[in-house]
Amino acid sequence: MNCISPDAKPDWKAYLLGELNPEVSRQAETHLAACSICHEEVATLRVTLDTLSTLREEEVPRRIAFVSDKVFEPRWWQRVFSPTFAAGALVAAAILIHGSMRPGQAQVDAAVNKAISQVEARHTQEMEVLSDLIEQRDKQVANMYLSNAALVR
Amino acid sequence: MIFREVEDPDLIAKARRGDVEAYNLLVSRWEKRVFNYLLRLVSNREDAMDVSQEVFLKAYQSLPKLDDPARFSGWLFRIAHNEAFSLLRRRRPETELAGEPRPPELSPRMLPMELSLTVESALNRLSADQREAVLLKVYQGFKFDEMAEILECPVSTVKSRLYTALDLLKVTLAPMQKEILRGES
Repeated sequence: MNCISPDAKPDWKAYLLGELNPEVSRQAETHLAACSICHEEVATLRVTLDTLSTLREEEVPRRIAFVSDKVFEPRWWQRVFSPTFAAGALVAAAILIHGSMRPGQAQVDAAVNKAISQVEARHTQEMEVLSDLIEQRDKQVANMYLSNAALVR
Repeated sequence: MIFREVEDPDLIAKARRGDVEAYNLLVSRWEKRVFNYLLRLVSNREDAMDVSQEVFLKAYQSLPKLDDPARFSGWLFRIAHNEAFSLLRRRRPETELAGEPRPPELSPRMLPMELSLTVESALNRLSADQREAVLLKVYQGFKFDEMAEILECPVSTVKSRLYTALDLLKVTLAPMQKEILRGES
């Protein structure tokens, strides 16, 4: 028996690739047993698929970086928006901007002198407060001695 | 079964809850299949490695969007397909200039390695779409409807690409294999 019309011919590629349902597959096998043209076609297709299966499977040349590796760490923009990195970046930016303004030497000297006088003024103020505290404490200690001496007498 | 292997959907559920080791295990299960698919598709080991890396990174980032964990393999290969074709589109002019390599001379005394190279060469002579259809069906074992989902095209298109590819491969490979079999007998 040979195929009378192409429409009657089973889908041999689908058959060999396991895509036909069991019932259609059984019908195809019945046809195959009696049709020399289809027998030849299936044999050629089977040889082609067998040859394709000789392709060697390659090993992965190096391991895929897993999620714990660097490649899975947050991207640069994710790090930028973290609080620690943002604070550091702000300080660095301030230094860079300040540096890029390139003030003249006189301006630098004036700024330094101003800073020194501010620190000295603050230091003097703190020393005065401290001195007052010591003076008050000395008076308290002296009063305690006088009170104790009066009690002894 | 006492030593039942952990299924992919279980690993996916764990990975979604932030279990890094579960995702690591998923990667180790799938990396060879994904790498080989990409290697045959882009025909370059370094590119295949880089794209594989990108595929697993994107899969990890998109894991919460995976609707059905039981369909992980198709979903993963769709990502791989998109990444591979993105690369192929970028390098198309270069590939066209390079031209197609000639297949090795056919011989009945071919060693398995040579036979494998001949198959590789025959695959490389197909269009990328045809080659991909063969890779997904013959080497990865996907069903037609799964391939249609991966490639985002109708089943009829999948069949058309695959059947054309098999007809072309049949012309190159079947006579050679028959010759080899005749030489052996």
